[in-house]
Amino acid sequence: MTDQPTEETTPDRPGPAAAHRVVVVDDHAMFRSGVKHDIGGRVQVVGEGEDVPTAVAAVLRAQPDVVLLDVHLPGGGGVEVLKQVHAVEPEIKFLALSVSDAAEDVIGVIRAGARGYVTKSISADELVDAIARVAEGDAVFSPRLAGFVLDAFSGSIDISAVDEELDRLSQREREVMRLIARGYAYKEIARELFISIKTVETHVSSVLRKLQLSNRHQLTRWATDRRLV
Amino acid sequence: MSAPLVAPQPVPQRADRQLGSAWLAGVCSGLAAHLNWPVLVLRIGFVLLSGSMGLGVLVYLMLWLALPLAAGAPKAPGIEAASRSGLRTVEAGYRVPADLGAMSAVALLGAGLLWFVQSAGLGLPTWALWPALTGTAGLMLIWWQADHIPNRSMKGLGGWRRWIAPLMAHWSRIVRILLGLVGLGTSVTLLVIALPDLPDTSQALLALAIAVVALLLAAAPWFIRARRSLSTIRQEKLLADARADMAAHLHDSVLQTLALIQRQASDPRAVSALARRQERELRGWLYGETSDAATVKAALVGSAAEVEDDHGVDVDIVVVGDRELGAELRPLVQAAREAMVNAAKHSGVSKVDVYAEVGDDAVEVFVRDRGAGFLPELIPADRMGVRGSIVERLRRAGGNATIRSAPGEGTEVRLEMKR
Repeated sequence: MTDQPTEETTPDRPGPAAAHRVVVVDDHAMFRSGVKHDIGGRVQVVGEGEDVPTAVAAVLRAQPDVVLLDVHLPGGGGVEVLKQVHAVEPEIKFLALSVSDAAEDVIGVIRAGARGYVTKSISADELVDAIARVAEGDAVFSPRLAGFVLDAFSGSIDISAVDEELDRLSQREREVMRLIARGYAYKEIARELFISIKTVETHVSSVLRKLQLSNRHQLTRWATDRRLV
Repeated sequence: MSAPLVAPQPVPQRADRQLGSAWLAGVCSGLAAHLNWPVLVLRIGFVLLSGSMGLGVLVYLMLWLALPLAAGAPKAPGIEAASRSGLRTVEAGYRVPADLGAMSAVALLGAGLLWFVQSAGLGLPTWALWPALTGTAGLMLIWWQADHIPNRSMKGLGGWRRWIAPLMAHWSRIVRILLGLVGLGTSVTLLVIALPDLPDTSQALLALAIAVVALLLAAAPWFIRARRSLSTIRQEKLLADARADMAAHLHDSVLQTLALIQRQASDPRAVSALARRQERELRGWLYGETSDAATVKAALVGSAAEVEDDHGVDVDIVVVGDRELGAELRPLVQAAREAMVNAAKHSGVSKVDVYAEVGDDAVEVFVRDRGAGFLPELIPADRMGVRGSIVERLRRAGGNATIRSAPGEGTEVRLEMKR
């Protein structure tokens, strides 16, 4: 909608010329305007949606780099938006943004194809950073999501049920998840584990893929059985 | 993982049908869960029982009607409300992929048994066999549909589409129900043809009676469902009253907080502390994060909340796993609380990250801030804070605390307690 020139840039991220095009989907107008106010200077907000049909329409019209998607939304929730958009445009990337902490729903949008999950209390800087990451095809895990993942893939499964590579996290992936849960930024994780940031991103993307593709019974049952912080 | 997590599965009080692991209607799965028998034994048992004049099939069909579908555990009110108003997509329950090998083995066993019994002359007479087979198949097809009707909302559609949309959305089901009815019809026709010669009127009456019985049987699941939902509604009414009181109470607490926020509008720290406390309370109620302080997780979350309130910082806490809070773990929780307080007081930043992992043989807690930091070796020996309340306390209790910090780099305290 607006095409404001942007002054501020985050270091090591593309400058204003490449400001990411973002659609904000949330059923609370106040929250939408809050987000626009916070990050509007650094990304280009090209559309808004307040329920499933308007969101799908706005996304398909604007063809944004990233969609900020509320988990709970009139008309079937964020999952429905993801399904309908991805049926037409599988390349559009979604970042879930929510106050809902019901693990079931968070895992639900991730499994439906969102590339990350952050809580609404995230700071503007972190949000811009997360948008940039998602736009580049990486995954964004908040500490909370990392906690969910660790819980879902924890050792509480019987080993006989784990026969696929998809169903468990590698040692390295577990370490990365634990550091994210401890509040480490990617840069700090890289330093901690003596690997490059790119490698950290690869690990996180791989966890995301497992989360989306693993058909593990426990994963789904876990999500419905437990309501975690 | 940890033993307390995997609680011994409670045996359900009443048997129900479990569609998640069903081959057909979940009768055997439900009975197996109820009796704690292996499900394959029951399945083979039913097939063998069917050898004697189709008794197994009859019993199965009766149980199909008599046993209610397994109900999911009730959800927290916020989630229920969001589901009702269509804010979230309810995914179909996960089905255990059926073991095709076992399935075809049991089917072959059944077919073989049928053939043997029939050719040995021990089974149903031929005039009854085909009606029984087509009728059972038709009935099962129809009842199966009754079990699998999704409650997709057709709201928001107007005009003629409102009438067409359900037909479009459910066309495959409608076709299957029609097929089922065709099966039933065939069965009735075959039966009527096989009727012995009687006067015309009684023959017609008998045929009519058979058709009516068949239709009633086909509609049985819907009748039963209607009856069950009546009693559910009665129970829900009671619950709703209790919830209304709860909601009123909640409303008061939120209004109270809003009033406090208005009064303290000039003090941003106080306002954000109030808002966070209210958010926590509301979220706990809405999304069922009720904490009984008897577990490690609840105790840690509780401590984090207290530190947030007392020191006006954000404590982001993530806990993986859980376990009962025994006396041996209390020092760990206290030390963690102390570490949070230290971070809140001395780091100079307003955000503390806490991560706890409750594992089989160890509990680990990390408390991290990105604040001022310090040089651990420079703490004077007489300073109680870190050394006394965290390191020493934990060591006395058999645990281990390490502190990583450097000026300008923040601080991370790692607390560990082995089993």
